[in-house]
Amino acid sequence: MELENSLTVAASGMRVQASRLRVVAENLANAQATASTPGGDPYRRKVISFASKLDRATGAELVTVRRYDVDRSDFVLRYLPQHPAADERGYVKFPNVNPLIELMDMREAQRSYEANLSVLRSARDMLQRTIDLLR
Amino acid sequence: MTDLSVAKLLTGAAGSTLGRDGRADGAEAAGGSSFAAFLESQLASAEAALRTGETVSSRGLVGKADVQSVVEAVTAAEMTLKEVTAIRDRVVAAYQEIMRMPI
Repeated sequence: MELENSLTVAASGMRVQASRLRVVAENLANAQATASTPGGDPYRRKVISFASKLDRATGAELVTVRRYDVDRSDFVLRYLPQHPAADERGYVKFPNVNPLIELMDMREAQRSYEANLSVLRSARDMLQRTIDLLR
Repeated sequence: MTDLSVAKLLTGAAGSTLGRDGRADGAEAAGGSSFAAFLESQLASAEAALRTGETVSSRGLVGKADVQSVVEAVTAAEMTLKEVTAIRDRVVAAYQEIMRMPI
């Protein structure tokens, strides 16, 4: 059953990386989302954290999403007096999203996904070649 | 994988005769697991894996399961099916070998 367990573990890794990519997509898409009221808070950057989870049926250690948190760092202030969300001094709060960091995170998610994909592929190939011995 | 000890298989096969529907026609008295019982349990687990694969892929088609689960279940089902067909081919080959044996 070990090779089948590898399939399960790799699939769980791919699943959490997909969730991570979703968070990156949300952050990037909302990078310019301001508040609707003057001086209000804009979109706050989200961060994802992972945890390992023991699969009791097989004894394999899967990975799962621990929780979705928000990044508590400060918002970016920009002087835009004509903006509907500008406060009385003319400053608008923009989300604390740094596109460069998001792009790095996206690349990391992609690489990790590919690594898990390779594990899945090689587990499948190992199974396949072992079964081929019978032919 | 189930424990595929060759000796056990051989003694099981020798002690039981396979009926038309793949069930043992008795002769389970050889003790331990007969080959027919082994084959039956393997087929049952293969069927379960295939069913899971079909369920998950249909749930994936309607958007209720993510693509990773579909790949995982379908791969597992495919591997089980290949394993079972490989074993079946060997069994049939062995049977034909015996039938060709000059008496």
